[in-house]
Amino acid sequence: MSNIKDILKCSSVFGSLEKADIERLGMLFEIRQIKPGDILAEAKEAAGYFYLLNKGSILLALEDGRSIVLNERGDFMGMELVSAGGIYKTTLTVLAKGSVFAVSRMKFLEIIREDSHAAASINTSWRKYLESNASFVKYIEDKSLPENF
Amino acid sequence: MYGLEAINANNGWSISVVGVSIVFSGLVMLSIVISQLYKVLALLEDPSRIKAFFKLKKVRKKQAGKGPEKQAMDRETLNENQKEIAKQFDLLAGTMQESFSLPRLLLLARISDLKDPYSNLDQLLKTKIIVPDGSGFFSWDKDRFGKTIS
Repeated sequence: MSNIKDILKCSSVFGSLEKADIERLGMLFEIRQIKPGDILAEAKEAAGYFYLLNKGSILLALEDGRSIVLNERGDFMGMELVSAGGIYKTTLTVLAKGSVFAVSRMKFLEIIREDSHAAASINTSWRKYLESNASFVKYIEDKSLPENF
Repeated sequence: MYGLEAINANNGWSISVVGVSIVFSGLVMLSIVISQLYKVLALLEDPSRIKAFFKLKKVRKKQAGKGPEKQAMDRETLNENQKEIAKQFDLLAGTMQESFSLPRLLLLARISDLKDPYSNLDQLLKTKIIVPDGSGFFSWDKDRFGKTIS
């Protein structure tokens, strides 16, 4: 399965979206092949993209030594988990071969800042996702400022 | 009546033995408490580890509740080369604290020139030899390592 719509549907962050919203969101993603040792994002560098995992395994390393490993299809690496103020705060290192879907940070933030059912649904699911996968990362309530991410 | 005679007549020996035992066991308990105090201080410095401890306990309970088939599915195996590399990772993990930073372990593996450090680390995670503690740190499951290697 490497169709972005199928992955969005099985993702715990985006799975609750309406079909039309998945169609619209899917247009923003582009596929990238990954191999062990690849660095998708480097802490302290400008945050250009967020990533959705299709296949493989990725280590998200925070600067204080904490980390999580994401290896399930639909895992999302974005927002406060990876960046703050437009700068990556996490280094994303590929542990196992596979592929990810990259989405422009700015375009994604535009979507979640909308006053829409889709944005509310993503935010609610994202809070739960963060709580279950990286409870040590502080959830940011105010999505209105792109500087927060 | 004075001296040893008086001690004998009034159960002095047994009283002193009981007294010495009480003081000695008190001191032993005190030394045990002091020796473990650093763990309490570590928890006070980072309270999220308390939450992580209970979370880990919950996960282990959940895993124990799984049927044998499901458990077998969870169990990944290592080939001979991977077992050798796992032993090297074990040595590296041994130089770190019980709850360690995974990126740090990866860095040590790269510095030590271990073969395919990324994919081998991933394999150790899949075999659950390295397990997350829920607070962003990881621990080395010695029991599972022993079973997987043997």
